[in-house]
Amino acid sequence: MISKFTSIQGNSREYYTLLMSLMALAGIGILTFFYIEVNGHGVTGMNNKVVWGLPHIFAISLLVMASGALNLASMATVFAHNHFKQFRRFSAFLSIALLVGGLMVLVLDLGRPERMLLTMVHMNFKSMFTWNVFLYSGFVVLCFFYLWAMMSNEKFVKLSGSAAFAGRVILTTGTGSIFGVIHAREVFHSAITAPTFIAVSLTSGTAICALLLVYTYRKTKRQLDDKLIFGMRNMLLFFTLMVFYLMAVEKFTKSYSPSFYEVETWLLTGPWAWLYWGGIVIIGLLTPLYILSHKTWGSDINGIMVAAIAAIIGEVSFVAHTLLAGQTYPFNPFPGYEVSSSFQDGSVGNYVPAMPELLLGLGGVAVAGLIYVLGIKFFRLLPKKGEAPESWTPWNP
Amino acid sequence: MTMDRRTVLGVGGAIAAGAMVAPGLRLIAAPAPKGADAGARWAMLIDVSKCGDDCTDCTTACATENNIPQIEDESRQIQYIRKITIKDKTGKKPDQSLPVLCNHCENPPCVDVCPTTASFIRPDGLVLVDKHRCIGCRYCMIACPYKARSLVYHENTTAAEQLNREVPIRAKGVVEKCSFCVHRIDKGEQPACVEACDKKSGAMLFGDINDPESEISKKLASVNSRTIRDDLGLKPHVHYTNL
Repeated sequence: MISKFTSIQGNSREYYTLLMSLMALAGIGILTFFYIEVNGHGVTGMNNKVVWGLPHIFAISLLVMASGALNLASMATVFAHNHFKQFRRFSAFLSIALLVGGLMVLVLDLGRPERMLLTMVHMNFKSMFTWNVFLYSGFVVLCFFYLWAMMSNEKFVKLSGSAAFAGRVILTTGTGSIFGVIHAREVFHSAITAPTFIAVSLTSGTAICALLLVYTYRKTKRQLDDKLIFGMRNMLLFFTLMVFYLMAVEKFTKSYSPSFYEVETWLLTGPWAWLYWGGIVIIGLLTPLYILSHKTWGSDINGIMVAAIAAIIGEVSFVAHTLLAGQTYPFNPFPGYEVSSSFQDGSVGNYVPAMPELLLGLGGVAVAGLIYVLGIKFFRLLPKKGEAPESWTPWNP
Repeated sequence: MTMDRRTVLGVGGAIAAGAMVAPGLRLIAAPAPKGADAGARWAMLIDVSKCGDDCTDCTTACATENNIPQIEDESRQIQYIRKITIKDKTGKKPDQSLPVLCNHCENPPCVDVCPTTASFIRPDGLVLVDKHRCIGCRYCMIACPYKARSLVYHENTTAAEQLNREVPIRAKGVVEKCSFCVHRIDKGEQPACVEACDKKSGAMLFGDINDPESEISKKLASVNSRTIRDDLGLKPHVHYTNL
């Protein structure tokens, strides 16, 4: 059923314009890194209350999306959903691309990035960060193994694909746990944080795959059966409901606990409430749910693309809200008292992102994009024709 | 030399595999902590009733002792010790002003989360930061329930003649915090804040709580005291009385 995998020609003016734009953006990102390195984090908008700013939002969003991008491959290899078998290579490769982009931003935003090797020689296995160093690099290895098996040795596909699937679940659990394990911060500490991160990765990863597939096939004038995108639409619909459910359960559980009244009220009505209601609820959850289950829009490829973009905005909003609301929540070492000091105790933390942060973050997105754009030119990642069997009819709204 | 695409993937995988395995290799052994008395456990007792509302002698002495530059932007000012005003929400108690600093916890969450062991606990209970090993990831700042840590946002440009040569300055990009003036403790002296406070109100008492004969041990045994956020189970070593 699957037509032959081919690389794209990649010699059009449009292709080179895209390539040059991405290279320019990545170059600006690298220059920005040197600018921050020379001048220190004083050139960012961060302060001693908000120490993880826009670069972390970019980095974590890319990392969460990277693990979700493996969905299509896992659907075929692990869940025997063979219609997506033709996108396994694309899916695993995209995971690597997004992961590399995200990791680049994460590392370059360190206060002392030149000491990164220290994490390799002085390890603290109690640290969730240390675990994540292994999880991120381990996931890249598993994706390479999986790609190699798909291209060269089919008998290892099941093993490598299953290992990569397990890896992505553990990876996102690790990323969510960076926040979930923080006992001292009411906003972060929760056992449900990691599963919510997994659900969010499923939505954003599926969304980015759908977007890039449609975009790539349209731009290269190749054929892509709409039914395949409808199948992905159904996955996106299901995953969005999953995010909705997990977030509702968390809010419900915390609202039942008097010790969380104050923080939960603040999250839903405080200065970052617009990001919660606007970014996560309206754009990230309700918009995709409405479009994807709409009789006409849900059956229109452009409608599905809008829903996919909304799901990605929702993912970034989720990460941004977790980070910014968590750090700016009025810090109070004396529960039961009102506190004030010259160190922002008891007051809402200020944070206005600065241009270098944005440019560094966009540099990471550009690097991920570059890897993808070069990947489809130099590797045979996609079939010339994306086909679905006649007998398969995905559910339609 | 040309490589086919499979070779490129194989080489890429091998590099990634190397990156995964490398963290497990210890190329340089961590140096053993020096100068710490494993039998001691340093702690502080602060009598809040003696702490003046407007007095900042402890914070000033700390900044001078530890070469902390004063900058305009309060949100980025490095603070090892700060004065906090607390107001009882029920209005039954008068407002109080008290110093808050690193609590040198027995179970420090900052040490737990530090990926490079730059944050570490000495055998005598002092929680310190190795400025050469800190990569500036700021995870310790997220994990600290006392907000006792600061990132160095700008290079310290204090003139050399104004610096205390016993305390090295920290370059931008690392996280720093109160060390209980470890350099003074190791010489048998009191932390700078305690010394400054002694000259004024004597609200701070510092010593070894493992020594039953120390003044702080006797005082802790005879007064009601509490620690901040004791609900977290971190066993902090800054105690407050008359709070």
